[in-house]
Amino acid sequence: MTTRVLICDDSGFARKQVARALPPEWEKDILFAADGHEALELIRAGYGDVVFLDLTMPGMDGYGVLEIIRREDLPAMVIVVSGDIQPDAQDRVKKLGAMAFIKKPIDTEKAREVLTEFGILAGG
Amino acid sequence: MTQSKVIRLTDAQRDCYQEITNVAMGQAADRLARLLDVYVVLPIPKVNLIEASELHMALQDARGDDGLSAVCQGFIGSGIAGEALLLFNDTSVQDLASLLNYQGQRSPWTTEELLMDISSLLTGACINGLGDQLGIHFNQSHPEIIGRGRRAEELLKSGPYPWHQTLAIEIHYSVEHMNIDCTVLLLFTEDSVPKLNKKIDFLLD
Repeated sequence: MTTRVLICDDSGFARKQVARALPPEWEKDILFAADGHEALELIRAGYGDVVFLDLTMPGMDGYGVLEIIRREDLPAMVIVVSGDIQPDAQDRVKKLGAMAFIKKPIDTEKAREVLTEFGILAGG
Repeated sequence: MTQSKVIRLTDAQRDCYQEITNVAMGQAADRLARLLDVYVVLPIPKVNLIEASELHMALQDARGDDGLSAVCQGFIGSGIAGEALLLFNDTSVQDLASLLNYQGQRSPWTTEELLMDISSLLTGACINGLGDQLGIHFNQSHPEIIGRGRRAEELLKSGPYPWHQTLAIEIHYSVEHMNIDCTVLLLFTEDSVPKLNKKIDFLLD
């Protein structure tokens, strides 16, 4: 089954970096969002089975997106991809319901590891 | 001003500089957060091409009119060179000293030690973080205190600078729920910018 993937980051370079790091064997359709509001619209419309979410963004940041996903009980599995790697940031996003935390810059090996760990990608 | 020497950044290049800085400053903030046992707030870094004559305005914008302490550290690698300036308001230095001394992990920090150590930690991690992403190994000089309790324009009296225009990356750190904040200003030499842009274009490819 094709997974609907949403990549949300205010940086175009970062969005491309995430897209390039996703395992090629993973069947997916990718959409992009440049801020939190755009991401939420797409998630509500059903385009975010798996969401790769940045934290530091102007306007609505990643924490705000996580809060609304939880409040509205939206069906999105969120993997935070952030440069803010402080222990506190990792704790906060996990408490807000993020499935996993990947340190920037993301690479294919790490993406594959997380996707396999949560059964999104078949192991082996 | 000679038009021929004007350096420009495309939107994509600026975005890429911002993003790799974001990653590098995050690594630096993590080290500070672990040292102080606090959470460091990370805004989006500013990337600008500035004229030498605008430098003191950039500093003033960054830090306001209060007394400033500044530490300078040079870096060089792969033909790319620059200086990192760490700027603290004097009240922040005092608060930082009391926070560290209160934790009592070691004998009291003198202000000099504190400025030098925080500079090594923050600018060191930033420069290494940028270098890692760009594939450059930067060698860094020992930190040097260039002023304490001074105004922005006094700190820069040591000019004139041997460049007209340069790339400035400005990173602002503040400690959550505390009155501690500082600015790291990375200034690359004029000659370095075209080489740096090439590295950026390679990442964008």
